[in-house]
Amino acid sequence: MSVEAQRTRPGAMDLPLNANDQSAPLWWGMILLILIEVVLFTGLIVSYFYLRFYAPEWPLGGISRPDLLLPSISAVLLFASSAPMYWADSSIKKGNVRNLKIGLILSLLLGIAFLVLKGIEYFGYDYNWATNAYGSITWTIAGFHSAHVISVCLKVAVVFTAATAGYFSEERNLGVRINGLYWHFVVVIWVPLFFTLYLSHYVF
Amino acid sequence: MTDSAIRPYVTRDTRATALAALTAVDHKTIGLRWIITAFAFFIGAGLLALTMVTQLMQPGLNVLSMEAYNQFFTMHGMTMMFFFAVPIMLGLGIYFVPLMIGAREVAFPRLNAFGYWVYAFSGIALWIALLMGRAPDAGWFNYTPLSGPVYSPGINVDLYALSISFLEFANLVAAVILIITIFKMRAPGMSINRMPVFVWSILVVAWMIVFAMPPLMLATIMLALDRIVGTHFFRIPGGGSSHLWQHLFWFFGHPEVYIIAIPAFGMVSTILPTFSRRRLVGYLPVVLSQVIIGITSFGLWVHHMFAGELSVLAMTFFAASSMSIAIPSGVQVFAWIATIWTGTKLRLTAAFYWAVGFIPLFVIGGITGVMVSAPPFDWQVHDTHFVTAHFHYVLLGGSVFPLIGMLYYWFPKMTGRMLNEKLGKLSFWLTFVGFNIAFFTMHYTGFHGMPRRVHTYMEGLGWGGPMLITWIGAMIVGAGFAVTLVNVFISQASGEPAGDNPWEAGTLEWATTSPPARHNFDSIPAVVSRNPLWYALEQDADATPAAYELPDNDRMTMGTSTLDGEPEQRLLVSDASIQPLVMAIGGTVAFYGALVSLWLVPFGASIAFVSIVMWNWPGRNREKEQS
Ligand code: HEM
Ligand SMILES: [Cu+2]
Repeated sequence: MSVEAQRTRPGAMDLPLNANDQSAPLWWGMILLILIEVVLFTGLIVSYFYLRFYAPEWPLGGISRPDLLLPSISAVLLFASSAPMYWADSSIKKGNVRNLKIGLILSLLLGIAFLVLKGIEYFGYDYNWATNAYGSITWTIAGFHSAHVISVCLKVAVVFTAATAGYFSEERNLGVRINGLYWHFVVVIWVPLFFTLYLSHYVF
Repeated sequence: MTDSAIRPYVTRDTRATALAALTAVDHKTIGLRWIITAFAFFIGAGLLALTMVTQLMQPGLNVLSMEAYNQFFTMHGMTMMFFFAVPIMLGLGIYFVPLMIGAREVAFPRLNAFGYWVYAFSGIALWIALLMGRAPDAGWFNYTPLSGPVYSPGINVDLYALSISFLEFANLVAAVILIITIFKMRAPGMSINRMPVFVWSILVVAWMIVFAMPPLMLATIMLALDRIVGTHFFRIPGGGSSHLWQHLFWFFGHPEVYIIAIPAFGMVSTILPTFSRRRLVGYLPVVLSQVIIGITSFGLWVHHMFAGELSVLAMTFFAASSMSIAIPSGVQVFAWIATIWTGTKLRLTAAFYWAVGFIPLFVIGGITGVMVSAPPFDWQVHDTHFVTAHFHYVLLGGSVFPLIGMLYYWFPKMTGRMLNEKLGKLSFWLTFVGFNIAFFTMHYTGFHGMPRRVHTYMEGLGWGGPMLITWIGAMIVGAGFAVTLVNVFISQASGEPAGDNPWEAGTLEWATTSPPARHNFDSIPAVVSRNPLWYALEQDADATPAAYELPDNDRMTMGTSTLDGEPEQRLLVSDASIQPLVMAIGGTVAFYGALVSLWLVPFGASIAFVSIVMWNWPGRNREKEQS
């Protein structure tokens, strides 16, 4: 008794091959990756506040609370980087590879600018991860997020190369769009992290 | 457009070369590797346990030194929890989910292969350390500050932190793959309410992993940083908190118990209907119970910390939520009993024995669980052998019993040969009786004050007698499992041929040959009921539905909609590649390299990066196929 019955249903071959939309496994994979990362970052934020609420003073050990100017500038640059990425995505949906590449480059430059400013900021502090728990959690959060920015920049470079080699078109661009999705995630997650690392000192 | 141009599916090079083995991605090959590796770890950890009970058999023995004992119980617990119990469930999922849902592959076969290598490497690293006498020794939950750099200098606990954080990649990868496979690749017509219960349980567990494993990963990475680069997360003098470790660990650790238990529920819900020859009583309540347990298990973790500082309110809340888990568990027990009770033709096979034997053991473990969820009771027995007895009833009785049942049930499908039934029943009785002798006694020993995690005890405390009984029981358990092991070896060579559907079961994995062909199904079945092979028994099915014809090319399978299983697309899945292995090696260098020089971390990461680019690079061939 086998289900592979004698009768067969025609028409299966008319279905699209590897759909280029949100029913694609690849799209789901990216959503789940982002979800896992959200859980990770939530864990970091919870740890931050856990340490903070049990600490006698915060920041610990007489460290002064962070100045807002430089971090705000870098945050603005990072947030801005989402715009060219969005533009790049919509360009390739119309089949415009040239604009796709320009958008990718612009985002990449903004991402690198963010990283440089973060580097200047953090290496300018007079404490580091080994100073005390405050140093540990702030350096870890910032470092973990920067590692994400670095990896998404590398990813963009790869997509750029593939675009140059002519792999993307109006019909085939899922790879570009899930890359864009991840980029937006790395940008948006900086909002709660920015609040945690900087603004929360001034709020409560 | 021209589908005939598609290369045949090389999920596994049929030439038996080493390269073929290293590049394989077929879900059955990978699933089988997970299963075999997990059982190997089970045997190893079981031997450690037998040595431990031998050491404890009488007061003042010297079979194991104190240092060795610490490593033994830590490695026993870690191996059982991280390298056996969870992986075996994932492995069975990877092997059987596509077969049960009528698909030809899992989503992302290469990623799947990568997950296996990570799992294997992290486990092997720990066992090499044990052979060198340098294994972790601070218990499987590895509390700080004991596990911090001050009280546990040396490489032992470093290996805990690094191996567990590395291993979590494998768990997360497998979970993501299983979720997507179940959501997007079911046979047409298999709406979500027609999914086999085992598939449901794997789905629930995969979602739990997505939420439970990242906090653990975070905790172990923070611990590694504390130990290797001098951060202060868990070190009190620097403003850290050792309680933070406990919270992060148990936020994972309690769901972990259900990550192990829920697939076991799914297994019992698969075996009992087949051998009672009726559908599962209460499909909906059983599935809902599993979902509810999965969700609520995230709200219980603090019950592991009753003996720490907690407010009364927190204790009351977590005590009540812990006890409430008994309700959905009870619902399932009644469903199983009703299934047997109303079955049309009971067949008392070995698989059935193991599944039924599970029920009383799970109930006993559940009752002692409700007992320890009351804080005053917990304070009395905390850290005694009572707790050890409790969780072995849940873990070994509640999880390993159904698992062995499932081995008897699915072995014919995997190998094409039946396991010997007589040996199976002998194995069951030895294990069942020995288990109760060993672990029921431990409740008593625990009440009388015997602490866990001590390598020996003095004379005159009254523990020598019961520990001797435990030793006898444990040896019988060992013999029981050994019988099944022997059975596996004999039967895979000379067991009776199984045929496609030896149990006359109703789910789709039995619709294909045993062992399944490389492409699982010749054409993709169309599904109209929960037990597609039981047309006669299922009222809502008319006749054999027509199947979907896809080319006899196993790289292509069907993609369907998430809820209703409506056909949406054809999926072309990727084929064999060496890159998953290369990437896993890069990861291994990055993680364990940290112990040698921090420069190896970026070095290993670069290897991984290069290989992931090569792996995903749209090949020329592929591009042609897709356009
Ligand atoms: C072969 C049968 C088994 C025997 C005889 C056995 C025996 C023991 C004993 C005597 C201990 C207590 C050691 C101590 O605290 O001094 C222990 C601990 C433990 N066992 Fe088992 N066990 C068996 C199977 C399992 C299985 C199947 C699992 C899980 C799936 C498991 C999980 C654990 C865990 C998590 C611990 C706690 C380790 C720690 O304290 O860090 N055991 N086992
Ligand atoms: Cu618990």
